[in-house]
Amino acid sequence: MTDETLARLQFATTAGFHWLFVMLTLGLAPLIAVTHTRHALRGSPLTERMTRFWGQIYVVNYVLGIVTGLVMEFQFGLAWSGLSEYAGNVFGAPLALETIVAFFAESTFLGMWIFGWGRLPKAVHVTLIWLVTLTAYASAYWIMVANGFLQHPVGHEVRDGVARLTDFGAMLTNPNAINALVHAASAALMTGGVFMAGVSSYHFLKRTAERAFFRASLRLGLFVATPAAFVALYYGFVQIPTLVETQPMKAATLRGHVDDIGSLRVEDVQAQLVQRFGAGDYRPPAWIATAFDVMQDVGYLILLLIIVALILLYRDWYLRFRPAAYLMLVAVPLPFVAALGGWLLREVGRQPWAVYGELTTAAARSHVGSMLASLVLFGSVFLALAIADWALIIRYARRGPADTDLGGSPPDGHAERPAASLAL
Amino acid sequence: MTLELVWPALLGLLLAGYFVLAGLDYGVQMLAPTLGRDDGERRSLLNAFGPFFLGNEVWLVAAAGVLFGAFPFLEGRLLSGMYFLFAAILAGIVVGNAAVQVRSRHRSASARRIWDGLIFVGGLVPAAGWGLVTGRLLAGVPLDARNAFSLGPADLLDPFVLLCGATTTAVFLAHGASFLAWRTGGEPSARAARAARRALLVAAVAAAAVLVAGYLSPARHTVVNSWPALATGAALVIALLAGAALLGAGRGGRAFAATSCAAALPVVALGAGLHPFVLVSSGAPGTGLRLTEAMADAATLRILVGFAAVMVPLMLLAQAWNWWLFRHRAGRTPTYL
Repeated sequence: MTDETLARLQFATTAGFHWLFVMLTLGLAPLIAVTHTRHALRGSPLTERMTRFWGQIYVVNYVLGIVTGLVMEFQFGLAWSGLSEYAGNVFGAPLALETIVAFFAESTFLGMWIFGWGRLPKAVHVTLIWLVTLTAYASAYWIMVANGFLQHPVGHEVRDGVARLTDFGAMLTNPNAINALVHAASAALMTGGVFMAGVSSYHFLKRTAERAFFRASLRLGLFVATPAAFVALYYGFVQIPTLVETQPMKAATLRGHVDDIGSLRVEDVQAQLVQRFGAGDYRPPAWIATAFDVMQDVGYLILLLIIVALILLYRDWYLRFRPAAYLMLVAVPLPFVAALGGWLLREVGRQPWAVYGELTTAAARSHVGSMLASLVLFGSVFLALAIADWALIIRYARRGPADTDLGGSPPDGHAERPAASLAL
Repeated sequence: MTLELVWPALLGLLLAGYFVLAGLDYGVQMLAPTLGRDDGERRSLLNAFGPFFLGNEVWLVAAAGVLFGAFPFLEGRLLSGMYFLFAAILAGIVVGNAAVQVRSRHRSASARRIWDGLIFVGGLVPAAGWGLVTGRLLAGVPLDARNAFSLGPADLLDPFVLLCGATTTAVFLAHGASFLAWRTGGEPSARAARAARRALLVAAVAAAAVLVAGYLSPARHTVVNSWPALATGAALVIALLAGAALLGAGRGGRAFAATSCAAALPVVALGAGLHPFVLVSSGAPGTGLRLTEAMADAATLRILVGFAAVMVPLMLLAQAWNWWLFRHRAGRTPTYL
């Protein structure tokens, strides 16, 4: 394997693990914020237990999100220094803003939320989880702006072989960023909803004592997942005309898999690109069409399952009809599979470009010697930690709300402080 | 132009914040598994930094973001040049960060002991790693004509660089111990204070050895401003000794202030020692990558400065709010970690 392949594998491993966890983070955060708000307003024990149970899973899941995110941040400089050399003036800005506008605040507020149980006034505590949610989505926005630039570089000019920012607004409204953001964010929400419905179904199947708890969770999950799935689907299709216009080669590779790509053919586009950029192979691997199919077919399957489950909510049929619960349980991993398919299509489908039409992946990579060692190092660390983390998530999910650590006993016997201490 | 002042200052602030805050994390991580006599004690030691832990680590993320956004022509050269070193530091942080957060999620004592081991490793690797990075940057790197470089492990086998690694390890260890002495109570606090005094004396000796090695080695010629660098090193020794004396006098809070200064001083040494360069050549002293060459285009910097002017004060406020809300000492009862 060449060093370039190793570097790409390392990036894909980091980004892939990162998204598997971040997708659930993004999906669960708003659901927990809503539950926590309901608890703060009405004070019912059910919503408090829901917040703590799903919050516990969220927090354990977040662990891998943050550590893989840290490595992501450094990947560009470590293995792709040609990218900062060429596009640092442009590409670095959204990443810098992601860290100081979003990532930094998200982690700070989440730490406060985790330790705030029984210590902070309710209004402050609820505000914190909303800030965590808001900054998580802000983070997704800036990352997609950066990624959108790689897909379809706008808002800059090239002088002396170096890209310079000329129109920041164009970067911020890049359709390749915005449509993909809505697609990915709604898919994440769907993932959170399906996850909630699936874990709840497990408890119905096991006939655990927490029927009311998981009935409420199932309904919340499905009520969010259904519209989110439609939005994700719609914003999947919205991206195709943009693709045809800005990345004709990727679109042409999907010929036969998508309807509306017009007359694009791989051979024709290859000939055009050779004319424009000189000799070279501008075709991405053909299997990205399979990645597309996996994403689309699994996506439809999820949508079907959600709709069936939603209908069965009528008069609590769902709780009596065990096959439905089995189907929802099986559905839990599906959004992750679809998402990996989507990212493979988006990223591998851009090959051979790091910055589409401007900088090749080969030209972007750093010339370093220990790429194989670091790939093995990061790959094994991420895999081991991910397995340990998933095992914990499964354990918390199975044991149910009675066995949640988050917000356990108030420290030193302090009861929740009176609302009067809101006046800080 | 003021942009040339604002961005290095902001990068320095974020890096110094990272060294002070994550430095205490790494110190506590190296200490907690052995300083705590039983699981309850170990948990209460970890919970001393509990509410701040996630917020401490992200200073590195912010520093890396500013490095990429405002200093793109340093970012790629620096990270790819010290590739294996940064990969090791990152892997250490990843393991330690995850271990701290999941160790008490396990019920069995044996699983917790495994995570305790990883908590220790995850503190040690970045603590030593950042010292090696600092030392190598001060002593210069083998720059080529394009001001790029690529280090091998042999480039770290330099007495000055190795001593820098030993110094940050001892400084962060002492800093974490003085944090624990200040923030916990009873017997564990007294034990942490004793550990901190020993670590502070070791760190002072190591820092003094760095100064001697720096004077005797070729680093003397590569450091651009040798007197400011020397003064920073001397200030480090003084801060460490002051911390030890304050701990001896039972002034936990002030001792922690002193070790905080000590933890930030390596960043000051880099800025003071290398200005106006960010990378200096080990082969040809007096040449290297200048700060102005490392920075992004003025157009980019102007846009970023607008966001930073709003966001950086908010970031600092959020952090201050966190420390204020959780200002009361951690109790004996374990909270979350």
